[in-house]
Amino acid sequence: MRDFPPPIRAYTDRGAETPDTRSPRAFLWWMVRQNGGLFWAGLLVALIWMVPQTVGPWIVGRAIDTGIVAGDPAATMQWVLVLAAVTVFGACSGILFHTVIVREWLIALYGTTKLVTRKALQLGHVLTRRTPTGEVLSVSGSDGDQFGALMEVSTRAISQLAAYLVVAAIVLSTSVRMGVLVLVSAPLLVVLGTPLLRPMQRWQGVERSRNSELTSMATDIVGGLRILRGIGGEATFGGNYAGQSQRVRQSGVSAGRWLAAVESVGVLLSGGFVVALMWLGTREVAQGRLTVGQLVSFLGYGLFLVQPMRTFVEFAQKWTRSVVSARKAVAVLSQRPPWVHPDEPADLDTSAEIVDGESGATIRPGILTMVVSAVPDDSAALADRLGRYLPSDEGALVSDEIPEELKGRAAKRERSARAEAREAQAHRDEERARQPWGVTVGGVDLSRVELDEVRRRVLVSDTSPQVFAGTLRSAVDPLGRLTREQAERALHTAAADDVFDALPGGWQGELEERGRGLSGGQRQRLVLMRALAADPDVLVLVEPTSAVDAHTEARIASRLGEHRAGRTTVVMTASPLLLHHADEVILLEGGVATAQGRHADLLAESPAYRSVVVRGGDADPSVLSHLAEESR
Amino acid sequence: MSRADSTVATTGAPDAAGAPGVTGIADTTDVADATWVSPLPDVLAAESARTWDSAVHAPAVPDELRPPQSASVGERLSALHRRHLLRERRAQEFVADTMNARTGLPIADNARVVRFIGGLLSQERLLVVSVVLANALAATAGLLVPRLLGELVDSTVADVEAGRVDAALAGANSAALVVAGLVVVQSAFTFAAKMSSTVLGQSVLATAREYIVHAILRLPLSRVESASSGDLVTRVTRDVGTMSESVRWALPEAIIASITVVLTLVAMVSNSPLLSLPSIVLMSLALFQVRRYLGRAPKGYLTEGGTYSRINTTLTETVEGARTVEALGLTHHRLRRGDEDIEVSGQAERYTMTLRNLLFAVMDIAFSLPRVLVLLLGAIGYAQGWATLGQITTAILYTEALWGPFDMLVHTVDRVQVGIASTTRLLGIATVPPDREAGADRPTGPELVGTDLRYAYRAGHDVLHGIDLDLSTGERLAIVGPSGSGKSTLGRLLSGIHGPRTGSVTVGGVELTSLPLDQLRTEVALVTQEHHVFIGSVRDNVVLAREGSTDDEVREALRAVDALDWVERLPEGLDTKLGSGHQALTPGRAQQIALARLILADPHTIVLDEATSLIDPRTARHLEGSMNALLTGRTVVAIAHRLHTAHDADRIAVVIDGRVAELGSHDELVEQEGEYAALWRAWTS
Repeated sequence: MRDFPPPIRAYTDRGAETPDTRSPRAFLWWMVRQNGGLFWAGLLVALIWMVPQTVGPWIVGRAIDTGIVAGDPAATMQWVLVLAAVTVFGACSGILFHTVIVREWLIALYGTTKLVTRKALQLGHVLTRRTPTGEVLSVSGSDGDQFGALMEVSTRAISQLAAYLVVAAIVLSTSVRMGVLVLVSAPLLVVLGTPLLRPMQRWQGVERSRNSELTSMATDIVGGLRILRGIGGEATFGGNYAGQSQRVRQSGVSAGRWLAAVESVGVLLSGGFVVALMWLGTREVAQGRLTVGQLVSFLGYGLFLVQPMRTFVEFAQKWTRSVVSARKAVAVLSQRPPWVHPDEPADLDTSAEIVDGESGATIRPGILTMVVSAVPDDSAALADRLGRYLPSDEGALVSDEIPEELKGRAAKRERSARAEAREAQAHRDEERARQPWGVTVGGVDLSRVELDEVRRRVLVSDTSPQVFAGTLRSAVDPLGRLTREQAERALHTAAADDVFDALPGGWQGELEERGRGLSGGQRQRLVLMRALAADPDVLVLVEPTSAVDAHTEARIASRLGEHRAGRTTVVMTASPLLLHHADEVILLEGGVATAQGRHADLLAESPAYRSVVVRGGDADPSVLSHLAEESR
Repeated sequence: MSRADSTVATTGAPDAAGAPGVTGIADTTDVADATWVSPLPDVLAAESARTWDSAVHAPAVPDELRPPQSASVGERLSALHRRHLLRERRAQEFVADTMNARTGLPIADNARVVRFIGGLLSQERLLVVSVVLANALAATAGLLVPRLLGELVDSTVADVEAGRVDAALAGANSAALVVAGLVVVQSAFTFAAKMSSTVLGQSVLATAREYIVHAILRLPLSRVESASSGDLVTRVTRDVGTMSESVRWALPEAIIASITVVLTLVAMVSNSPLLSLPSIVLMSLALFQVRRYLGRAPKGYLTEGGTYSRINTTLTETVEGARTVEALGLTHHRLRRGDEDIEVSGQAERYTMTLRNLLFAVMDIAFSLPRVLVLLLGAIGYAQGWATLGQITTAILYTEALWGPFDMLVHTVDRVQVGIASTTRLLGIATVPPDREAGADRPTGPELVGTDLRYAYRAGHDVLHGIDLDLSTGERLAIVGPSGSGKSTLGRLLSGIHGPRTGSVTVGGVELTSLPLDQLRTEVALVTQEHHVFIGSVRDNVVLAREGSTDDEVREALRAVDALDWVERLPEGLDTKLGSGHQALTPGRAQQIALARLILADPHTIVLDEATSLIDPRTARHLEGSMNALLTGRTVVAIAHRLHTAHDADRIAVVIDGRVAELGSHDELVEQEGEYAALWRAWTS
């Protein structure tokens, strides 16, 4: 029998079963099928759980008729024992039911988290340039929970439907009139009760979206707390939060009003049902068509049947919400990686020259090349091309959240517009990935090499790398294949002594999530150390020392060349301290390589180069210099 | 590695948890090369050798927590018992660990939560009374129905036995009318009860969350600067969510359910004391188990909540760092970490599941068995003439009616427990003591003077060793030095974020840390990288330091940093909403907003931490003017990473190992032929 956490292999193992993301409903059905036999077992247990409530009143009726009223203690005893057996049986199944339901719920929840994790890992940098992180995370959290809730309520709803039909059959077999009453009233009650659900759900939707805005505001306050406490603004943003909190309260009260109406109409309708049952039943007894015991058991059923009717309504609500959640999940999970496997994968010969078609830059193998650009974006884009990363274009994110004020048709239009935008984006990415890439290594275009191979041989350390929580050792040596010598060498080259020193416990010292608690410079050197330790054939570093002080930068510069001796290294920088140690420097102007040579030579010969490097240029704005000039 | 990877990929395989790390160590570290000398300083090299493979990688979920593969039923049960105890211990350890202020912000105790909620409820006395009253009336109306049904059964039986069919029919008619009336009354009071409990829940919740955010906004400056925000983020998202669920829904429902339970018991006894005995006795027995459960559940739920935060944190890192994962080939590594988190969470879930099962085992019996006993007692009573059929009917209906509210009560108390657990974490934020007390003295001038400054983040590890610095008004001082030399710490002391361990930083003769924050902000500002754009209007984003500034002042500040033009072109000008999910700004514009804030704050001294400074090279060109506007006419301390910054300053302080090694103008220091001169030559050659 399935248990939690479920094994999920989709997206990361080739050929493993992937979820059905053709439509939200198809996805929900796939989730149900994930439970395998467990779902049916849960149903069975739920049915057993229902038995005492379904046959209990009937047994009581028999006991009254054949035992108590007839004055037959043996018959009474017999029915009491039967009732006791059924009751204990049902009570024991309660535990089983709870266990199975928790399993189903958690299989759905953990399964969703695992799917999202695997999808994120499969898509890599492609996902974060398309979908806001918050939306990816909420699929794993709240939407996953919603799927769990759906498993629970559908099990309950199906079992109670069965119970309802059994009760109707029991009643029908005794009294046709009352049986018909039971059969007709349940659908009638559900139909009469549902019109109120729509405004209630609408307000609940408003409350949810206002509440998620409220949560964003709280997260925002925490995120900018240093500024709020350092510069001020507590009253403004505390006030904004309080304002939104009151708006959430108002919508909550409005939703509550409809909920109260739903509940009170429920009381009215189910009460009416009991009144009808009682009136009809008593008349039948008075006319001798029904025994007292049968009346008592019908009254018992009257109270019991309220429960299935409520469950049906609850199911309808949760189903609607789950479809919404499923749509969000599908929006994330249906994204495909744009890459295609080359028909005849070529080998990557990293001992050959690397040529970037767009800039015309040629990177010679085995030496330390540095790239200087007046516009740092150009050199960052070159780094992306060298590593076969899709460009990080701004405004590419397509959110799935639509504004609260859009309703009905407008909301639908907006939603389909976004779906189209997402589709168009995926299409663009695929186009880009399918064409020749424009960077050749030894004459072989990167698109002809398996992407995994490119990733393995060429490491691009970009400007916003992630530092993961864990021990320092796992940060530097995540795959556990370094010797201590190698690690120490990387630590030394990256001049990260103080990072090592700052963490109590050395290599076993714990880094916080995202490297919080380290300074910007420390984080940068940790990342550099990690990149050096990975020891790729081709290492591309983008502004690796921009947050590092001049003293330390000088130290790193003097050690980098020796560390990477004989291997291809490309550094995007404009710092003279680093450039000084380059074997070769390439100057980019307008994204095109215009000069190539040694630092000292370029400094002497190229005015353009000099203007970028020496006076800092754009890459190194000296804040105080302009003031100094002004005051002189 | 590939073998380990493939096991990891299948996830959750017990042996995969520690495999890669362990094999890595075994393969490599023993192959020490005798001729190899560590490039690190001796102390570090020793520490490195000591810690490299010292830790035994403990699996996320120990084997003892996995059920035996094959065993008899008895063995299985005793193994389950052992696992349950182990999980209980893990929950206790987790809670003890979280309660420890070392790992994050403090956590309040339960008594404080009860006082807090009690206080909030007492502010809404009228509502509380109407919730109780409306529910009591609704429940009473509902409870009269079974009673009337019982009487109807008796009268009908009597009429039928006496052959009075017409009387029986008339009885049915009038009883139906009365019950219908009761149903209408019950329905009306149900509406009132639900409505008032919603209003109560929503208003208590709104007050509670606003109080929490208020507490966050009062956190001490030094705490905010040095602590990680992860814990706080979890608290304002997950814990506020759990508290909401509890206050909005569980608390009112718990009140309703307890009222209904009490009234049902009263109704039972009044119907027939004898027939109410089974329910009362069994319920009392069940209360022992309920108490046992309530004693353990909070820790279980706290642990559970913690594991979900962890899952969320790991996934956030994975998603945000997707490119890093891809670049470094960490897919399997991240996968394993995520799956381990889920394994750990699964164990926490198993613990609370078993706790609930133990509770349900007792509860289910206690609330379903009375029906059987009532039938038995009723049969005896009917034979002996103590009980009528009507009383038996009513008693059976009541035992059924008791189940629902009691189940709801336990179910909601369960949620209230979770809510309380989360609320302890939320109220913990309010228990952080302030780090400073404002004195009465006000500065007499703008001179910033630091004397004998020492500071330690860890006791006994001073990072500054007695620094003296005088800043003259309007001066530009650059601080340079290798990382770890204490530059940034010095910056924090000079801007009044931390108080020094010894010595003092004064402005106009008054200690910075004894100034009220409002005042401090107009004296010195620390400028760091965080050009955070808040969710709020452009105006909200600028007025920070001088709340209550007029729109003209805001416009003036924006004009000073060349931002007014584009702000006015925004769809709603100053009222345009910015921040995540709203109007997006380019990094350059975000930085301009950040600068405009400081213009409006108008401190006479600015400490510029360039390590993580506002100046992103990509947008620098557009910002030069804005930056000039901010710095002109102010005293500037620039913690410089770029030598040009230092070159242009009036004075340069070279800080090495927590001491000022060199101090003077650029020319003076170059002549001194010291540390600075060496660097300068490396830069310019």
